[in-house]
Amino acid sequence: MVMASEDEVSLLVIVVDVNPIWWGQQANREPQFTLSKCLDAVMVMGNSHLVMTRNNKLAIIASHCQESHFLYPFKLWKSGDGHGDDNPSTSGDGKYELLSVANDIMAEEIKILMSRTEVKGNQTDTLLAGSLAKALCCILFIKMLTGQEIKSRILVIKAADDCALQYMNFMNVIFAAQKQSILIDACVLDSDSGLLQQACDITGGLYLMIPQKIALAQYLLWVFLPDSDQRSQLVLPPPVHVDYRAACFCHRNLIEIGYVCSVCLSIFCNFSPICTTCETAFKIPLPQMVKAKKKKLKPST
Amino acid sequence: MAALSEEVLLVVKRVRQRKQDGTLYLMAERIAWGPEGKDRFTVSHLYADIRQKISPDGKAKIQLQLVLHTGESTNFHFSNESTALRDRDAAKDLLQQLLPKFKKRANKELEEKNRMLQEDPVLFQLYKDLVVSQVISAEEFWANRLSLNNVDHSASNNKQEVGISAAFLADIRPQTDGCNGLRYNLTSDIIESIFRTYPAVKQKYAENVPHNLTEKEFWTRFFQSHYFHRDRISTGLQDIFSECAKQDEKGLRSMVVQGVKNPLVDLLSLEDKTLDEGYGSNSMAPSTSSANKTVKENSNSAIIKRFNHHSAMVLAAGAGKKADAPNDQASETSSTDGNSRDSDFFQPPVKKVKIQEAIEYEDLHMENGKKTVALNLKKSDRYSHGPVPLLPQQYTTSQDIINSVNCIQQEIANYKPCLTQVMSSSTASSAIAALSPGGLLMQAGSQQAINQMVPSDVQGELKHLYTAAGELLRHFWSCFPVNTPFLEEKLTGHLEDMFQMAYNKFHAWQTRQMLRKT
Repeated sequence: MVMASEDEVSLLVIVVDVNPIWWGQQANREPQFTLSKCLDAVMVMGNSHLVMTRNNKLAIIASHCQESHFLYPFKLWKSGDGHGDDNPSTSGDGKYELLSVANDIMAEEIKILMSRTEVKGNQTDTLLAGSLAKALCCILFIKMLTGQEIKSRILVIKAADDCALQYMNFMNVIFAAQKQSILIDACVLDSDSGLLQQACDITGGLYLMIPQKIALAQYLLWVFLPDSDQRSQLVLPPPVHVDYRAACFCHRNLIEIGYVCSVCLSIFCNFSPICTTCETAFKIPLPQMVKAKKKKLKPST
Repeated sequence: MAALSEEVLLVVKRVRQRKQDGTLYLMAERIAWGPEGKDRFTVSHLYADIRQKISPDGKAKIQLQLVLHTGESTNFHFSNESTALRDRDAAKDLLQQLLPKFKKRANKELEEKNRMLQEDPVLFQLYKDLVVSQVISAEEFWANRLSLNNVDHSASNNKQEVGISAAFLADIRPQTDGCNGLRYNLTSDIIESIFRTYPAVKQKYAENVPHNLTEKEFWTRFFQSHYFHRDRISTGLQDIFSECAKQDEKGLRSMVVQGVKNPLVDLLSLEDKTLDEGYGSNSMAPSTSSANKTVKENSNSAIIKRFNHHSAMVLAAGAGKKADAPNDQASETSSTDGNSRDSDFFQPPVKKVKIQEAIEYEDLHMENGKKTVALNLKKSDRYSHGPVPLLPQQYTTSQDIINSVNCIQQEIANYKPCLTQVMSSSTASSAIAALSPGGLLMQAGSQQAINQMVPSDVQGELKHLYTAAGELLRHFWSCFPVNTPFLEEKLTGHLEDMFQMAYNKFHAWQTRQMLRKT
């Protein structure tokens, strides 16, 4: 039988946005699709990935507003492998032990995570950049553990909105992933996220905003289960147009045409004779000041 | 009238011009005469304008006549009884020295103009059109152009002077003439070398030629004189060159007295000190008085003196134009003007330079880094902020937050994964429809629905294959968990074959489809 190369390890890291505030409000908005359903879909996805090939590995990170927590694998670092658990949780349905153990661990961990949530007014944003960074570290760790080059990708399931404060960290993570050839896929439940669009575009992953939340499992299996080699042979949703406009330094509005200081490269939407960042004076004759440069932010090196 | 900054070189009183008493002034760039008692000059000529001066000798009146380029002539009558001749000669000499400088300049200018006109026919045409026909004056025409050339002149004047070969005298190489005579070949180069090295000889030449001797005679005398020959014993012969010998002696002595300004060179350590027989040291101080020396020592020292003098003169002549005053041999080895009252002041710079040269290496100096301007960012946190989100963020009250969190905590506390009922088949199929070509999410791709892209017979065959594969898989999965040997045997033997057959069938169908397409 023709199979994918037997020794190749493929690691999938799923980052699930479990922002309690957003999901709590979601429970009121749409009771048929709550965090439980979402977690079920994620489990299905994880199981499917593990079942595709023996060499596939899985990691799941819950991205909370207070921390980023590994839902799976938890006991990996403690006892070497996920098997051989003394927990007789073979729920009786003949399930492959790896899968049942994984599911049990995930359920347990999310319960622990949610139970220790503390309500804080100033921390309402999902720590997505941190979770991505942890995912990168996990990939690196597995690479060192297996001692060989592995194919890895990160799947982000995003619920709440973007946080502008995490911009810099986010971009750094994106570039690090690109350097390591790690794909970042994004499945967005609610509203478009510019940062994730950029991430997918730069690393070569897929970005999808799903119209029906209750069909999440189907979308995940159809679009995000195949890895990058197989995707080239499938007909998948086309890439979205990414808004790469830069933000001006004075108002942080997205602009298409702006003025760039030649000394410190800060972007302004209006001309001013002195750059407010580096205090350089420009000797441009004022009547002819249409020296606008179309500025496109091209982060890829 | 008289510019205050002009330097007056010579003032002669009691000079008459046009029957008027007055004073003659010779300045740096012009000659002027003013009547007595008055402050201003009535006659003033630039040296550049003077074509020649005539000083008729042998007349009762002692006069000096200046002829200008324009043809005018001016007569000055030196009327001071006692000093008239001397005054006149002094004025004449000064003019003799000054005029050539300005003459050359004037000539050079004309030559330059001619050259330019000849080289550039366009310029020549322009000149003819404008200047000859009196549209522009010649001065204006040349005003712009000549300024450029003067720069070239000064540049070309700075070109290097040819040095003097130290062996120029030896190169003369007398050849025997046949009948007991010697033939000396003198080229103008050699003559120039002699003049530059021995200014005394040049002066003698200037004095005697062409009045007293012809050039040939002068040089014959020169070579005949003992001055030229090796054994220069001052014999007191009536020789025009005996003075030169005396001057040389004087010059040499003054050079020795001046010494060398380099503190690192100790000339005295080069003195000849003979060791006595048996290699003992001779404690007797060498005496320099010539009375004690033997004849042999005398001639040796004479030769050595002449060598040293010759070398010093060659070096000095090549050292540059500082030795302008021809009689000032003393200034040849010093780099300053010999203002002895300032000797203490002048000495340290030379000494300093020499010492510094010896102790410093340029290569080992610290490199002067280029001056850079530091980047001065006042608000560097601007770089770390991203854009403001396009959509306004939803505002949540703190009550909302508390409610949400409680709700979630409750929900998850009771969470039990139920993977068999993740979604209904209708939602799944609608999702699939949206993802298929022509569906909701595939709008940017091809607009065709999948039904239209694939022919219906291929669709039918594929459906059959899919159903058959599904049936086999159902058999496969129903064997788990493997509890009985029957199931185990079925799995490892039977099903394996079935799968292999199914796969072959599919592979064949696939190949057929691909062949059909190509």
